[in-house]
Amino acid sequence: MNNLESLQFFIPELFLTAGLLVTIIVELLLKKEQKVFTAYLAATVLLITIFFLIRQYAIEPAALFGGMVVIDPMAVFFKILTAVSTLIIVFFSIPSFRVKAEYYVLLLATTLGMMLMAQVNDLLMIILAMELVGLVSYVLAGYRRSDPKSGEASLKYILFGAASTGIMAFGFSYIYGLTGQTNLFEIQQALQSTQHNPVILFVAFVLIIAGLGYKIAMVPFHFWLPDVYEGAPTPVTAFFSVGPKAAGMAVLIRFIISIVAGVSADGQTFTANAPIHAQELLAVLAVLTMTLGNLSALQQKNIKRMMAYSSIAHAGYMLMALAVFTSQSVEAVMFYLVVYMFMNFGAFWVIHRMTPHLGSEEITAYTGLGYRAPLVAVAMGVFMFSLTGLPPLAGFIGKFYLFAAVIKAEWYILAVLGVLNSVVSLYYYAYVTKVMFLNRGDDESAVSISSYDTALLLVFLIPTLVLGVYWVPVISWATQSLHFFLG
Amino acid sequence: MIQLNTFLIISAIVFSTGIFTILYKKNVIGILMGVELILNSVNLNFISFAKYSDAQINGQMIAIFIMILAAAEAAIALAIILNIYRDRAMVDVTLIDEMKN
Amino acid sequence: MEINEMLFLAIALTTVLSALIVALSKKIIYSAFALLLTLIGFAGLFIYLSADFLSMAQIMIYVGGILILILFGVLMTQRIYDPSQITAHNSIWVSLAGGIAMAAITGAVVWLNPWGKTLAKDFEYSTSRIGSELLTKYLLPFEVISVLLLAVLIGAVYLGRSREVHK
Repeated sequence: MNNLESLQFFIPELFLTAGLLVTIIVELLLKKEQKVFTAYLAATVLLITIFFLIRQYAIEPAALFGGMVVIDPMAVFFKILTAVSTLIIVFFSIPSFRVKAEYYVLLLATTLGMMLMAQVNDLLMIILAMELVGLVSYVLAGYRRSDPKSGEASLKYILFGAASTGIMAFGFSYIYGLTGQTNLFEIQQALQSTQHNPVILFVAFVLIIAGLGYKIAMVPFHFWLPDVYEGAPTPVTAFFSVGPKAAGMAVLIRFIISIVAGVSADGQTFTANAPIHAQELLAVLAVLTMTLGNLSALQQKNIKRMMAYSSIAHAGYMLMALAVFTSQSVEAVMFYLVVYMFMNFGAFWVIHRMTPHLGSEEITAYTGLGYRAPLVAVAMGVFMFSLTGLPPLAGFIGKFYLFAAVIKAEWYILAVLGVLNSVVSLYYYAYVTKVMFLNRGDDESAVSISSYDTALLLVFLIPTLVLGVYWVPVISWATQSLHFFLG
Repeated sequence: MIQLNTFLIISAIVFSTGIFTILYKKNVIGILMGVELILNSVNLNFISFAKYSDAQINGQMIAIFIMILAAAEAAIALAIILNIYRDRAMVDVTLIDEMKN
Repeated sequence: MEINEMLFLAIALTTVLSALIVALSKKIIYSAFALLLTLIGFAGLFIYLSADFLSMAQIMIYVGGILILILFGVLMTQRIYDPSQITAHNSIWVSLAGGIAMAAITGAVVWLNPWGKTLAKDFEYSTSRIGSELLTKYLLPFEVISVLLLAVLIGAVYLGRSREVHK
């Protein structure tokens, strides 16, 4: 489709960009005490964008802007997911960033980047969209300028980010050299029609996985993550843990169904374009990712660091499902990301709001919280058990779908290793709960919680509970969205 | 003598040098230089493939965009480095390490 | 050997050698000036690849922009007149192993030479084609990068702004 015809399918992105520009201008006109208004403006912009996105539900797949991006139900799913996660983060951030108007502008800019990442169809657009998310994320990580930890986080983030983008682009250049194309599906055709040397395809694949793996925190490209998660302001950490990771998963799925493999005629399984053992490599990386994430999380004393390693482990579970190359596994990952968004945001919200009261981010500071703030502590316990994957919580259903996809594809060893990892993770998640309820701290004064805190807590708590018993709407939405653009 | 492989060898050498620089330097700005070397070798690859295969001009187009991205990345990196330098007056990555494992 | 090829050889050697100086130099300021040579060398190589526009863009963006930024960063953060100011390095052997591994992999790819038949095209000017591509096929990336630059501008100004003014 040419540029002019494509515009009608690009209304959410256009609206978001316009909203971003308006937010910048409005910010200049406001007095300092009124600047919280920009947060509400950003939230409104996101809300209307989500409304436009929902109207694209079950759209017919098409290539837009001469094949630069595509629009298909999967893209719409990920766009809604990332936009909703940013909307939640706006409300998450209002208590701590009241007068920081640029912050909300930058959040809108990353949302645009994540929405583009969900629909890339060209090597150039992959680089551009990932850099748009990346460059803004570096600034967000260092947003608290006077805090040395925040600066350190952004420095480590940009050094790893810049290097891995360069390596990924080098891998792209080999793909381009082999096929002479930059459009993902023209590359797929070129790879399927002529037999290429598998060695070079493997080298290119490994180089590209370095870049994509950095975005979703895959071992061994995860070094930046614990420091960035600990150092960045907590709302930003929560933001990194869901939105950009979901967008990275979307790019990885697009990459798998176009360059690495082709979707079979019945749309259920993906067959590799070249014998480069991509599945085995991804499976090994998935096992390494979850094992290293879980084992490192066991040793953490700082709760934000523990959550950082736990998010590495969760990336491992999702990769484990992706490695089996079936459409069922993609569906499971999509469902898991929705569940993960609520439980992870919930845990970070508790950490964010309790840190000033407890005076520290150490896990031991949570001792006796069950007696000081019962509602918060119960909610935290629910989030922890949901992250472990215990029934009847949402995390259990999410993990169930992931493991079902792996077992159905008959990758039993992978599934067993995944289950063992979940058992390990029970230890450190349950430890937080134990500290909160079974131990009594020195300070037993009640912690006062504002109604805003409670309201947002319920926004995370209710879906975590409800999705554990009634998940049909979400899984059917994911199934509906399993409709890829396929060239 | 001037053929595709000549350019690819140059770019491979510069790319490996870039990786080496990133691993070797402790100075933040030194690491950034390594990143610039990598991005330049990427551009050289794209442009030489565009010249020597029947591919169209897309290689050159990608190179233009990568150049712009490199500039944006350098701007952000320098802003971050200066922000840190104001606090601590040093740019050695191993010393910028407050968070313990 | 034609003069054309001799010039090419000189440019290629300058590029590679100065890249090695960037990596190995003990002083960061020498690395920065060696990087200048590498970047100009790349601009020369681009001319041999009929990328006249990119060659000029390379000089303007990399040499005129990025390198100035890097030099500015070096001068701001280092006491260059202090002779004891030698940059610390990580272990050379580990780094060398990484670099050589990369060189082996990319070298193997070049040696396998899987690119198929290569064409010998004549030099052709690319500027006008780039211009029309930017406003047709590459319109979306062109617009996206303008949003990206705006976001980077805001972010960099925010980080770089002095704190006293904003307290």
